Amino acid sequence: MSTTVPVKAQKSVAKKQTPEFVQLLDPDGKRLSDDLYDPWVSDVTGDQLASLYEDLIIVRRIDTEATALQRQGELGLWPPLFGQEAAQVGSARTLRPDDFVFSSYRENAVAYCRGVKLPDLVKVWRGTASSGWDPFEVGMATPAVIIGAQSLHATGYAAGCKFDGVDSVSVAYFGDGATSEGDVNEAMVFAASFNAPVIFFCQNNQWAISEPVGLQAQRPIADRAPGFGIPSIRVDGNDVLAVMAATRSALDRARTGGGPTFIEAVTYRRGPHTTSDDPSRYVDPEVAKEWEAKDPIARVEAFLRSEGVLTDELAASIQARADEVAAEFRAGCLALENPEPLSVFDNVYATEHSGLARQKSQYKAYLEGFDK
Amino acid sequence: MAVKEFALPDLGEGLTESEIVEWHVAVGDLVTLNQPIAEVETAKAIVSLPSPVAGKISALHAEPGATVTVGTRIVTFELEGAAGDSDAPDDVEAAPATGTDTSGTAEAAQVAPERNSVLVGYGPAVESGKRPTRKARGGRSATNSAASSAANTASPAAKGGMAAQPPVPDVTPTEPRSEAPAVTAGEARTKTTPPVRKLAADRGVDLTQITGTGPEGIITRDDVLGAAEQSQTSAESPNAAVAQAADGDTAGSAAALRGPRQRDRARETRTPIKSVRKSTAAAMVASAFTAPHVTEFLTIDVTRTVELVARLKAQGSAASVLSVVAKALCIGVDRNPSLNSRWDAEANEIVEFGYINLGIAVATPRGLMVPNLKDADAMTLAELTEAIGDLARNARASKATPASLNGGTISITNVGVFGIDAGTPILNPGEAAILAMGAVRRLPWEYNGEVALRDVMTLSLSFDHRLVDGEQGARFLTDVGAILSDPGTVLSMV
Amino acid sequence: MTELTLAKALGSGLRRALSDDDKVVLLGEDIGTLGGVFRVTDGLQRDFGKDRVIDTPLAEAGIIGMAVGLAFRGYRPVCEIQFDGFIYPGFDQIVAQVAKLHYRTAGKVRMPLTIRVPYGGGIGAVEHHSESPEAYFAHTAGLRVVTCSTPQDAHSMLREAIASDDPVLFFEPKRRYWTKGEVDEDATALPMGKARVVTEGTDVTLVTYGPLVATALDAAVAAADEGISIEVVDLRSLSPVDFDTVSASVQKTGRLVITHEASESGGLGAEIAATLTDRCFYYLEAAPVRITGFDVPYPAAKLEDHFLPDLDRILDGVDRALGRENSLTGWSA
Repeated sequence: MSTTVPVKAQKSVAKKQTPEFVQLLDPDGKRLSDDLYDPWVSDVTGDQLASLYEDLIIVRRIDTEATALQRQGELGLWPPLFGQEAAQVGSARTLRPDDFVFSSYRENAVAYCRGVKLPDLVKVWRGTASSGWDPFEVGMATPAVIIGAQSLHATGYAAGCKFDGVDSVSVAYFGDGATSEGDVNEAMVFAASFNAPVIFFCQNNQWAISEPVGLQAQRPIADRAPGFGIPSIRVDGNDVLAVMAATRSALDRARTGGGPTFIEAVTYRRGPHTTSDDPSRYVDPEVAKEWEAKDPIARVEAFLRSEGVLTDELAASIQARADEVAAEFRAGCLALENPEPLSVFDNVYATEHSGLARQKSQYKAYLEGFDK
Repeated sequence: MAVKEFALPDLGEGLTESEIVEWHVAVGDLVTLNQPIAEVETAKAIVSLPSPVAGKISALHAEPGATVTVGTRIVTFELEGAAGDSDAPDDVEAAPATGTDTSGTAEAAQVAPERNSVLVGYGPAVESGKRPTRKARGGRSATNSAASSAANTASPAAKGGMAAQPPVPDVTPTEPRSEAPAVTAGEARTKTTPPVRKLAADRGVDLTQITGTGPEGIITRDDVLGAAEQSQTSAESPNAAVAQAADGDTAGSAAALRGPRQRDRARETRTPIKSVRKSTAAAMVASAFTAPHVTEFLTIDVTRTVELVARLKAQGSAASVLSVVAKALCIGVDRNPSLNSRWDAEANEIVEFGYINLGIAVATPRGLMVPNLKDADAMTLAELTEAIGDLARNARASKATPASLNGGTISITNVGVFGIDAGTPILNPGEAAILAMGAVRRLPWEYNGEVALRDVMTLSLSFDHRLVDGEQGARFLTDVGAILSDPGTVLSMV
Repeated sequence: MTELTLAKALGSGLRRALSDDDKVVLLGEDIGTLGGVFRVTDGLQRDFGKDRVIDTPLAEAGIIGMAVGLAFRGYRPVCEIQFDGFIYPGFDQIVAQVAKLHYRTAGKVRMPLTIRVPYGGGIGAVEHHSESPEAYFAHTAGLRVVTCSTPQDAHSMLREAIASDDPVLFFEPKRRYWTKGEVDEDATALPMGKARVVTEGTDVTLVTYGPLVATALDAAVAAADEGISIEVVDLRSLSPVDFDTVSASVQKTGRLVITHEASESGGLGAEIAATLTDRCFYYLEAAPVRITGFDVPYPAAKLEDHFLPDLDRILDGVDRALGRENSLTGWSA
């Protein structure tokens, strides 16, 4: 089949009944139709989907490589996004350069899509810097470690865009656990109140360290937003097409003065909370296996193969590209330099601070007293 | 062939050790980057270790089941690359007892301690178990520090009466330290520490008149004390008792009443310090500040001695209370020889004398002198009495020979003639003891179970605590006291 | 007597508290099923049930606020804040509510809460996981603030904190969680309000608490090699501070060095220096010296050694107190 015309759903296939969320590609790789959301991805060609597929492969490879680097003592920590690739790639690839992202520490696939350079992804995890990149170069804030704080920031940024009269949108990425924090709820109050062009993108990966989502929420998380006056979409987070469609619809609403949207992307954290967590203490292996069957990459691969878009040749070249990226990523990580000692005093303030200048001078004198 | 040593990393769980559960590879295997090479147990979870390089396994350095410390080499890889000698990098700690054997010996089996997840980072530093030390600092070698600290630590320890010196740093600052803008002389406060400031206030010392010798011109405790001494017109009153010639007068005449103060007295009279007073003073200082002085007191009923002396004199025998004391002292020494000894620092020995050269303190116009009677222990009471009399007369007439002024082994000082009861006499330098006898007073005392007026006298014995301990001093004193209170006691002692 | 890590000693303290008093409940994130991210509460939910060891939703204000409500109802809540840097969403509930309720209600309402907080750095972590916020709470009237440095203290002080009818901020030095020590659960312990002279010395009083006690002891060993005798005092209680013990020490040595990880300005070192200067003015041979973190946010892992006081920086401060050559000799601003 042609790779340049949009891929259509096969009308003869019965629509899978998944009323609980929007799904355009089922776990087996079957393309489903959805009258509301199909239009948002009707332009997506085979090539484009293959490109998304490559993104998924690459970000998973980066994630795996980062985990290995941590095991090899090169990173202090890594929070894997294993299993959440589609949620992050599908949404991030819809954004414009002038949009702005406020995320948590797990959105490294989003960072990759925003154009963050490979070594910059790990500066924070290697501990050589407090942040990996200049937010304004890639339109993405330094990821928040404090849970949920970023949702308020995204709301404020969106309000600023509105005051400026531009149609840029800000996106707040956070997890299911974050929805319990006051900040996230306050953000929704403010966003609704100001009709701010913000997308609240919640990756419900079912876990907040060891706490299941059922502890945070007694009904689907997506049900909260309408209570604040914010329209909500519940989407299969492992379906890159559905995620893309949902995000595009939310962007459109925001850009045309329709205000905020809440998207709950239902996915699964297939790895540990961080490389030091031990999920065997609280994860039912049966449940984990169920989610393995819903893997985001497998379904796209299955679909593309069935459409003849993914040939062995293409698969091999994608694999090679992933290896290349991984090697570059590793080399970049190992080449990161430790910061100079006196840099601990830098950038605390934007202007001169007398007390700090004195401390720095004293510490410099102290360091100079040692044998080299 | 390039070689890479791989050490067990801290897997981010704050680990110091992990147990090798299983190797997935064997020596000689070729591995790719990130290929799982081992399962390692941490915090009761099994973690897969990915290979850090692509290469060939040339050695495995731990057995399955072995517990390995973080930082210990566990695998040696041969990397594809230029041929060359294998060279282990310096930064990897080699596991002990290992070479390039195919199966390295395991680490000494240790129970893997329970470790809990840090969750968020590299984890705390592993304790090295080595003695903590400071990093080497340029220009400050350990010996420099030790020297300055030896000088300095004397000061903090000294508290109480001793002057404490604020420590002086080894190196004077190369640049002037100026933290505050310069203040005009009249307005600047003197620089010193709170305790020294209080000391100056207490002593009436004007800090603005002192140049400080401490770091950065800080006025030190010594600076203040030095200034205080200079301005003092009289030093602390001496403890030494001055003795009068002993002629047995028991009635200690109280100090003569002074006449009325003369109104045309000079404000200050200066006398050069020389000769007898100078040497006496020097001797006194040397004695007081070298030997640790202890003084013990004993008040006794000496009525029987007084009666004895009166009887002896009536019989035409020379006798005096002083000579009886001298005799009692000799018997006491015989029973307690440590009081008749010398601390010979040079030879590092204690010398116990087999004879007594008894010093008698004499007040002369030229100052206090302590000539001694050679072999006083061999003299009879009468001989002692006359010899003491001669001694005193010669000394007062400035005829004391140098020989008589040297070689004393123990001394007596009679403060009683000045009407004094007791004192804390200073040892004649080189001697172990000095006995002061006070005035004989008529006092109510216990006698045969009732209160009666008796002749009572106090003996004050100072001794060098290096040579004599408290018990010995006490025994000596009680011996002397026993003799004086009942001279017949001698029969049980000799 | 058993040898336990500090983390396990805390766990056994919580176990005893739960056994001794039915009204004790634990609240926190991941404390139940997981047993806590540091495994301090390991096994407690299994043994005491979900109603006594409660996994809470992810919200610090929620945890503290809920505890306030439970306390009104007669419970004795023990809250865990997962990491120091996460306490701030709950800060309002702590300082505005927990600290003030007893005072506001003329003593009718008691807040016998214990709020456990792993704190301090030295674990190579990412941001917000290495903070030392104790000064904010020591500055807040109505709160008691304590911190342990050994497994024995961890155990007995925690039990005393839980038993106290006052709210207690209980700071646990996370980099010492794996320190081992003998713990006698039934020993008569030094009260949590008292400071302890850990090693005696004659030349300098070195006052510290929590994670730096071990560092101070190392410094004393190294200093002994230079002939300097350091007396190390573990404050243990930050509100109130046991000034009697510290004063007695400074009156003996005449010199005071205080060290803590928290930043210098407004840190507890300032409070101690000021009070000791007041109480020991005429015994001081030198001004008190503070060796602390700098006035910067806690830095990235590779820089943390240039923030935290270590043996060398502490001994540099000791040199200054002794009037010996030190890093500031010849320094000018």
